[in-house]
Amino acid sequence: MEHSVETVKQRHASWMAVPAEGSSLVTRALRRFGDWPLFVLFLTPNLVLLLVFTYWPLLYSVYLSLMQWDLISPVKLYVGADNYRFLLQDSEFREVLRNTIVFTVGTVGGTVLLGLAFALLLDQPLRGIALARGVVFAPYVLSGAAVAVFWVNMLNPRFGIVAQVASWLGTVSPDWLNHPKLAMVAVILVALWKNVGFATIVYLAGLQRIPQELYEAATVDGAGIPDRFRFVTLPQLGPITLFLLVVSTISSFQAFDLIKVLTDGGPVNATTTLLFYIWEQGFVAFNAGRAAAAAVVLFALLAVISFVQVRIGERRVSYD
Amino acid sequence: MKLERMITRRRLLVALSGLTATALLAACGQNATTPTAAPSGTAAPTGGSAPTATPAQQSRPMASPTAPAVSAKPTTKVKVVYWGSFSGVLGEAEQGMVQRFNQSQDEVEVDYQYQGNYEETAQKLTQALAAGATPDIVLLSDVWWFKFYLNEVLLPLDDLFAANGIDTSDYVDPLINEGTRKGVVYWVPFARSTPLFYYNKQVWEEAGLPDRGPNTWSEFLEWVPKLVKQEGGNTVRYAFAHPSAASYIAWLFQPVVWQWGGRYSDPDFTIRIQEDPAVEAATFYLASVRDGWAVPSKDIVAEFVNGGTAAMKASTASLRGITKSASFPVGTAFLPEGPKGFGCCTGGSGLAILRNKPQEIQEAAFRYLAFATSPEQTAWWSQNTGYMPVRKSAVTSPEMEKFYQENPNFQTAVNQLPKTQPQDAARVWIPNGDQIIGKGLERLTIQLEDPKSVLNDVARTLEREAKPVIEQLKRREG
Repeated sequence: MEHSVETVKQRHASWMAVPAEGSSLVTRALRRFGDWPLFVLFLTPNLVLLLVFTYWPLLYSVYLSLMQWDLISPVKLYVGADNYRFLLQDSEFREVLRNTIVFTVGTVGGTVLLGLAFALLLDQPLRGIALARGVVFAPYVLSGAAVAVFWVNMLNPRFGIVAQVASWLGTVSPDWLNHPKLAMVAVILVALWKNVGFATIVYLAGLQRIPQELYEAATVDGAGIPDRFRFVTLPQLGPITLFLLVVSTISSFQAFDLIKVLTDGGPVNATTTLLFYIWEQGFVAFNAGRAAAAAVVLFALLAVISFVQVRIGERRVSYD
Repeated sequence: MKLERMITRRRLLVALSGLTATALLAACGQNATTPTAAPSGTAAPTGGSAPTATPAQQSRPMASPTAPAVSAKPTTKVKVVYWGSFSGVLGEAEQGMVQRFNQSQDEVEVDYQYQGNYEETAQKLTQALAAGATPDIVLLSDVWWFKFYLNEVLLPLDDLFAANGIDTSDYVDPLINEGTRKGVVYWVPFARSTPLFYYNKQVWEEAGLPDRGPNTWSEFLEWVPKLVKQEGGNTVRYAFAHPSAASYIAWLFQPVVWQWGGRYSDPDFTIRIQEDPAVEAATFYLASVRDGWAVPSKDIVAEFVNGGTAAMKASTASLRGITKSASFPVGTAFLPEGPKGFGCCTGGSGLAILRNKPQEIQEAAFRYLAFATSPEQTAWWSQNTGYMPVRKSAVTSPEMEKFYQENPNFQTAVNQLPKTQPQDAARVWIPNGDQIIGKGLERLTIQLEDPKSVLNDVARTLEREAKPVIEQLKRREG
């Protein structure tokens, strides 16, 4: 084994050496500018992609948010902060923000808590556990639109399977997706069903990395199961929890496919989240300025939330 | 004759190299076997392209056995890109139409590209305009074409109609008039519909009702107790169903407003939806749900076909699909009358050609447009979808008359057509007007809110969103 590592290193060295010796131009450039040209060479492709597809659209959104434009007309009308002023005063936008918070708290909280619960269950050495793990993880790899389509049918109040089960239990299934309050609950539940597998797998990996000695030491010190969970398992899962919080917050802000197919943001605006609102304003109402202003609000929200999460994480989470 | 004069040495060379390249491509890549390259040989090559093909063949004696056949076929076909919006039964018919056109002649080839529903097609067209890569023909719905007209991206079609000797007066008047601005046609009716009253004949029979739709809403109210079915305190069948905003409740409510003597707006965008007649119509909708005989549903067609509702209002376009999937006999009827009489709107989509294309493309695009809306083809389209024939001469053709005798449901819409009127500006011309009204109606049918205050909110939003359009319209039409 050591021998082969050595060969690789040698090959590596000679590979590095060949172009340097072979072309005096490169050598001279290296001598003159140090590592800069190489640095720029390696960085450029990624930097160009980032600039073109991330930073430029970001700046352009800010620019568009100051305009009134229908996406087609060659003329963009400068309106200053009008779009922001509109969003501030619009009751529909306030409802959208409220929905976004409910959806995010529901899905992020649910994903993390359920994910942990499933991971603890699936960590047990039981028969058929591999199958159970597979079942929990499977929905995560399905396409959101497909998931939404079959949930629409399952939740139908007259011929859906959920209504069928409800009638066996002697109750009546409400029209989940067409109900002013329950629609959001249904969307959150479907999102949880789809995404909890990811959190479960990540937690499961985390659980299996906790050293057994810690539990042994805790047991010797007289800690029961609840104490071991509280003082060993939870702190050890800290970094993973932080990671899941950040990742699932961002992805819940970006949820679109499920909402589009399940409820189309309705009834009325009951399940319209910020991203859905941006899409609707931009590509249904063709109000590019208002959509861009809402996008800037989304960007600011995400920046603040990520900052707070990471800050709290730095103080509270131990990576030991 | 003119074409022959155009063949110069230089053109010949260009054509030669082009043909060689095409043939080589066809010989190498399997994917290059487009219908253009397919050796049909049945149709005679046109004009001056024939002589150029022969030398091309002779100059390449080494080509593979299949190549000569390919290169012998003149590749002078004009390619036209068509963006369409239909899926399912309707999508098959739309593709069928394109195939029929491509097989009917060998000068123009239409490349059909499905773009999603009406909304998605309009969104993609907007992006295509920004990217400068537009299709040549596009299917635009009643609420979308006007936006593109305002932005001057649609081609005025009068010259092309005249050049092709097509008399626009043979198009059904209310339909062609909708796509005409200042006397010029921009949007040609293709898949045009009206709402119909659909009913489940089996339920009707069980309830002992006459085999027809209700003449008035009050008559329907008398029938309702016989249609609603309850099991253990749970309604398992409603008499009627309301769609969601996304399924165009604002389109189906439009005639109801008229039946109550009101309107969404005037043509000059004066909003009238908050006025008493519209509020009374809205109160009727609200009561239908509150009193338990109508249900708001995300998919009224599925609801109807699965027996969840005994009747509904839906587009004629659903007729073929519903007849196919319903396990019971389906009846269709005119919309019931309201306190102020009859009212019915048209809907659906039409074809438009994009501006700023080479003349050759525009002419080719128009040939498809003329084909798809010709009396013969519109009859075929109508029979296969449920959309109405858009030509007067098609409606009265012996073929259609026979079809209607065999399929009386398909005739309901045609009979109702003369009584229809174009929709109010607020729904079709204010950006997102359809959804603004639709969401307001959801507040009635789902949240059971007070109609007066809901419609006041809707009116305020409509007035606000109408402003940019009014300005734009002033700039466009003066």
